[in-house]
Amino acid sequence: MKKDVIDLNKDLFVLEEELLFPANTQVAVYVSMDVGTFFALDSVTVKIDNKQVKNYLYTAREADALLKGGVQQIYLGNLKVGKHALVAFFTGKGPVERDYRRGATINFDKGVGAKYLELKISDKVAKHQPEFLIKDWE
Amino acid sequence: MTGVTVRRLSSMLRPIALGGLLLALPVAAGWAAKYQKPDPDGLPPHDVKDLHYGDILFYFYQDDYFDSITRLLAAQQLERLPHTEGEAELLLGGLYLSLGEHVEAGKIFEALLAGKASETVRNKAWFYLGKVWYQRGYLEESERALRQVSDKIQPRISAERYMLLAQLKLREGKYDEAIAALQSWHGAPDWTAYAQFNLGVALVRKDRLPEAIAYLDRVGRMETQNEELLSLRDKANLALGFAYLQSKRPAEARPILERVRLEGPFSSMALLGVGWADSALGEFKGALVPWLALRKRNLLDAAVQESYLTVPYAYNQLGAPGQAAEYYSAAIDSFDAEFKRIDESIEEIRGGNLLDRLLKDDKKDTLTWYWQLKSLPDAPESRYLYQLLAMNEFQEGLKNYRELKFMSRNIDDWREDVAAFDNMLDTRQHAYNEEVPRADAVMSATDLDALTRRRVDFESRINAIEKSNDVAALGTPEEQHTWVRIKRIDDFVQMHPDDPDLAEMRDKIRLIKGVMYWRLSESFKARLWNERRSVKELEASLIETQKRAVQVEQARAGVPTNTGAFADRVGATRARMDELQARLAALTDKQAHYLQDLAIEELGRQRQRIETYQVQARFELAAIYDKTANKPAAKPAAAPPPTNTPPAGKPKSKKWWWPW
Repeated sequence: MKKDVIDLNKDLFVLEEELLFPANTQVAVYVSMDVGTFFALDSVTVKIDNKQVKNYLYTAREADALLKGGVQQIYLGNLKVGKHALVAFFTGKGPVERDYRRGATINFDKGVGAKYLELKISDKVAKHQPEFLIKDWE
Repeated sequence: MTGVTVRRLSSMLRPIALGGLLLALPVAAGWAAKYQKPDPDGLPPHDVKDLHYGDILFYFYQDDYFDSITRLLAAQQLERLPHTEGEAELLLGGLYLSLGEHVEAGKIFEALLAGKASETVRNKAWFYLGKVWYQRGYLEESERALRQVSDKIQPRISAERYMLLAQLKLREGKYDEAIAALQSWHGAPDWTAYAQFNLGVALVRKDRLPEAIAYLDRVGRMETQNEELLSLRDKANLALGFAYLQSKRPAEARPILERVRLEGPFSSMALLGVGWADSALGEFKGALVPWLALRKRNLLDAAVQESYLTVPYAYNQLGAPGQAAEYYSAAIDSFDAEFKRIDESIEEIRGGNLLDRLLKDDKKDTLTWYWQLKSLPDAPESRYLYQLLAMNEFQEGLKNYRELKFMSRNIDDWREDVAAFDNMLDTRQHAYNEEVPRADAVMSATDLDALTRRRVDFESRINAIEKSNDVAALGTPEEQHTWVRIKRIDDFVQMHPDDPDLAEMRDKIRLIKGVMYWRLSESFKARLWNERRSVKELEASLIETQKRAVQVEQARAGVPTNTGAFADRVGATRARMDELQARLAALTDKQAHYLQDLAIEELGRQRQRIETYQVQARFELAAIYDKTANKPAAKPAAAPPPTNTPPAGKPKSKKWWWPW
């Protein structure tokens, strides 16, 4: 019985995605966090083509899930084929509990397939600073 | 039986169970890093192998198993887990198990174990399978799975595996095997106390008290601030104290029982035991101190109920039958009042509101594996249900009920979305109907083949100009006009070569022509390059136009089919929703009745126990009246000498000698 409900839920989930975000226009943005020694995440703002598409405030539980290895899909939307620019701003606590705000940017080509972008927060051990990168998943 | 073995609380179990599975997985490195000793050189950054697997874990690590399993199945269907297939399958099996779908989970694990999974994955699969079967009470299956785990696993998991095997034996009543397993067990320090306690209890059950004392005493003396361990310490002291009482060693029992915290959950039982220790030593006055303190507590507690009989018993032993009779009478009245409350509560439960009230304050938006109801609502029947909460059967049933309710709400939520899908498809169809005539008009007005031919002609012309070096052909219109005029004059001059009047003009025209040609030649290459570029741009534009024309054609042909296919899918899911909602409603109702029956049964048991006490109180009261009536010259009875056997008339309780 429960499996039937789960299967239905999955089918509806897939249907919704295919209907609202077809692969030829789909763009998905993810947030991942590695180690987190030098940065405690509070929020992420995502702008695509100079338009804010997401501003997400993290709960402790969500930030913890990221630290454990979870990857959050922060934005799912549609874009036309062609050239686009994404800017992400990360706010939180940096080394020695200081307020920290950094940005990262990427220019990318949206082709006919779905586009996945990963906002990566990692520790730059040598500099004792966090590092913010954006990876374009081809 | 389950009471014999102490299990760690859910908060400590959960991460090791499902979470433990993930320790070896690549994306879990962050988790491992956080809980391991920090590496001074920093940890190497890990790369996410499959974004969608990380997305699944994001929900999993928040204990949101329903979202996690939904996304996992969707990712599998859409083939988005190329690098984490094995781990995802393992997790899927675990998630199915957590939802009680044993058959589905079993299939997954069997397939995984029969396949080419790595030893790490296989070990995790077996361990996980064994652990959850243990949690669900399938002891044989659990043991079989746990024995499949090789020793090549992380020490922490290995230690827990041995602990589980020992606990299995305890739950099966195979104490010798449990003792053997626990004696060779070496685990993390925080687990040692649990192992020692379980070993102590197992030894007591085998009448090997001298060996048990060392283990239980060690746990009973441990220094800790941790509430869970403090509770275990109380439990160990209680177990050892009652073991001494059982072995007729009340003098040794007393100080051990006094170690139990007065404010802890085991204090009532300890007070009862201290009283019995005094009583066994013939010190009835001393026994009255803890028993009277106990009697002031909530009557719902079995130890308190028993104190309603032990207090008058002590007074009677002290030769105060009047006070004893008074307390027995009071006990009978209190028990009567309690019957009334229990009966009212049973009626309330039959009314069918129990479960909704129990789950009123529950966080409803997630499904987690180890969900348990931790507190009871402020309702008349709640006071009787604490015993119920301790029952695995009830908690498991309640968890199932909660899951069914959650799933029903989930389907209701989708209904709104599905209605929106319908609207969206209608809008799309409407937009299509409007756009098609416009698109058709544009398409029919555009002759792409003619445009292509013109482009080809244009390119051929450029080629010809280049080949013939026709520099004037690429000149500006003015230059071309001038050139034509020059050519015309030149032709005229050429036609009259001997005319002396034209000699001067001939020289002039030759000069003008030369200058003009020089100018045209000078810019010819640049102009040719520009023309070639124009040809290329034209070609690119034409290709793009052709591509779009194909897309328009495809969309024109595909949209009705596509929209229709979506509409069919929406329709099919709506039918499934209706069917599942009906099944869920029936099952929820059935589950509710089952849980109500369990609750009523429990209340019935409590009523029965109080009835037994009441019968005993009435009997003792009658005996006192009889004795008083037959002895006109009442002389206080001397207290009997200390005895190690329970005196005649002593209140009987199955829990008297051994709390577990």
